[in-house]
Amino acid sequence: MRFLAHRLLLFVAALFGVSVLVFVALRILPGDVAAVMAGTAATPDRIAALRTQFGLDRPLITQYLDWVGGLLHGDLGTSALTGRAVVAQVGQRASLTFPLIILSLFIALLIGLPLGCASVLANGRRMRGFLHVLAIVGGAVPALWSGLLLILLFSRGTGLIGIFPSQGFPSEGWHNPGRALSSLVLPAVATGIVAGAGIMRYTRAAVGDVMDGGAIDMAMACGMTRTQAVLRVGLRLATPQLVSVAGLTFAQMITGVMVVESLFALPGLGALLIGDVGNRDLIAVQSELFLLAAFFLLLGLVIDLIHRALDPRLKAADATGTDAGDGTTGSAASKGGE
Amino acid sequence: MESEGIGRVFAALRALWRRGSGRYALIVLGLWIAVAIVSLFWTPQPLLATDGYHVWAQPSAAHPLGTDGTGADVLSWLMAGSRTNLVIAVLTVICSGALGLLLVGLMVSRSAGLASTTVAVVDALISIPTVLIALLLTVPFGASVGVIVGACSIAYGLNLARIARPSAMLAARSDYVESALAGGASGWYAFTRHVVPNIMPVLTVQLTISAGTSVLAEAGLTYLGVGVGAGVPSWGHSLSTSVKLINVFPLTVVWPGLVVTLAVVALNLLGDAFNSAMDEGSL
Repeated sequence: MRFLAHRLLLFVAALFGVSVLVFVALRILPGDVAAVMAGTAATPDRIAALRTQFGLDRPLITQYLDWVGGLLHGDLGTSALTGRAVVAQVGQRASLTFPLIILSLFIALLIGLPLGCASVLANGRRMRGFLHVLAIVGGAVPALWSGLLLILLFSRGTGLIGIFPSQGFPSEGWHNPGRALSSLVLPAVATGIVAGAGIMRYTRAAVGDVMDGGAIDMAMACGMTRTQAVLRVGLRLATPQLVSVAGLTFAQMITGVMVVESLFALPGLGALLIGDVGNRDLIAVQSELFLLAAFFLLLGLVIDLIHRALDPRLKAADATGTDAGDGTTGSAASKGGE
Repeated sequence: MESEGIGRVFAALRALWRRGSGRYALIVLGLWIAVAIVSLFWTPQPLLATDGYHVWAQPSAAHPLGTDGTGADVLSWLMAGSRTNLVIAVLTVICSGALGLLLVGLMVSRSAGLASTTVAVVDALISIPTVLIALLLTVPFGASVGVIVGACSIAYGLNLARIARPSAMLAARSDYVESALAGGASGWYAFTRHVVPNIMPVLTVQLTISAGTSVLAEAGLTYLGVGVGAGVPSWGHSLSTSVKLINVFPLTVVWPGLVVTLAVVALNLLGDAFNSAMDEGSL
């Protein structure tokens, strides 16, 4: 319980910190926000009008409090370019990006978990070496490149075997689920391969750690075969770590996802954010950056809580006051998949 | 003193060379550095030589990898790009190493409040992706090499601290640190002499892998327009250019991506070789 309170407090503090950071980063621009938004050819009148429209002529602290007050009420401001509410824009784009990330993660797990277990179980030196190199090469491919190669291989029009659309998203969106899903397949595979290689490495490491602990030997002494012991006991004991890894992979995949969104011309969150940064739509950028950062902080919180719920050893370590030996070593996924 | 240092470097290189993974890594990294140095003095075509009559050209004797949309030579830009990526990788290793060590130092500090606050901050921030940090830095500072190095250093530094913490904790609570402190040694002395050597293996392996990840990050961020500025040669720039070539001459797409992949594989294998050499005690 103390842990939960502590972690929640930290989450709120981190949210506050991020909001200040985002606000400051957008205010230390050379010149002021209104001048940047209006562009180089703007008349002073236009700049002054923008400044009044967005309340940029007020003291910084008032602006900040106003913004945060809006955030707390779910009001993220209005985009200067489109005049639409930022909330609506983000919501619409997220309906593409989140399915894409989840599909990528699903593919990554589909690749990573079996291959990770296979590399623990592999008997021959050669097989082991092959799987090891496979994991390294898979993790070293830039998402942009794997996307390009997939287009060359499988896209209609350009590819050798034209089965998937090469670019774009159906204009009717998810009202046409079949087409929508098929246009997400190639992008998801492009990011899923890289992330899958990462998951494969961590699965091998986590299950390998469990084996060193003797639980597998115990299970085998009770009559399980090696394969059974690894899959039933090893994988179960490694689950808390693997959940952490999957969660962090989710966070890390976002760079790759933004890249493939752009490559496959998908109107997702990445495209929105990059477009707004390019257009200097700073009011929108401010809220979008904060919203994304908040989402990832929340994700980190959820991962920590799930990890804890799944691994009673951490709680026991807390109760006796000893250091848990950092049960999160497996979750220290290196920032891969970019 | 100096010759002893050089001798140790040679011994380390020999230990790496004896392993297949280390040998591949050293060859690729050697080529990378060599090309970067050569590109300072010579490239097949001058970088800024454009030719409006031969844009999107097929590979030929004059342009082994073809030309891009301004008629500039793709191979020359790829060669010059290895410079930028080398700089980014080296700076990222230095900065993320420094940040990681600083955080580890705070985590094992004797002040319980400071230590637990640092652990908490690292845990809270670990899930923020590199690209968000880069976007946050791009808005005020504009796209540049510095933004990539900054974003990668923060992200990898946090990661490094989290990974190195268990072994740093073990070292910081060991008897020899206790006795050093009891003997009047300063906390700084104990940290640099006793804790840092203990986390050196983890640090070396992790930083080597981070160097590889910085290459991938550069490619992604530059494509998104928040990486190196326009007109600066880099592998990410070449890769982004090759995207536009896909309909004109598809095979050109293969080269920049292959270069990036080979380099990242080399850095990962180097990390492996470091790991096994240190396990064996030959480093």
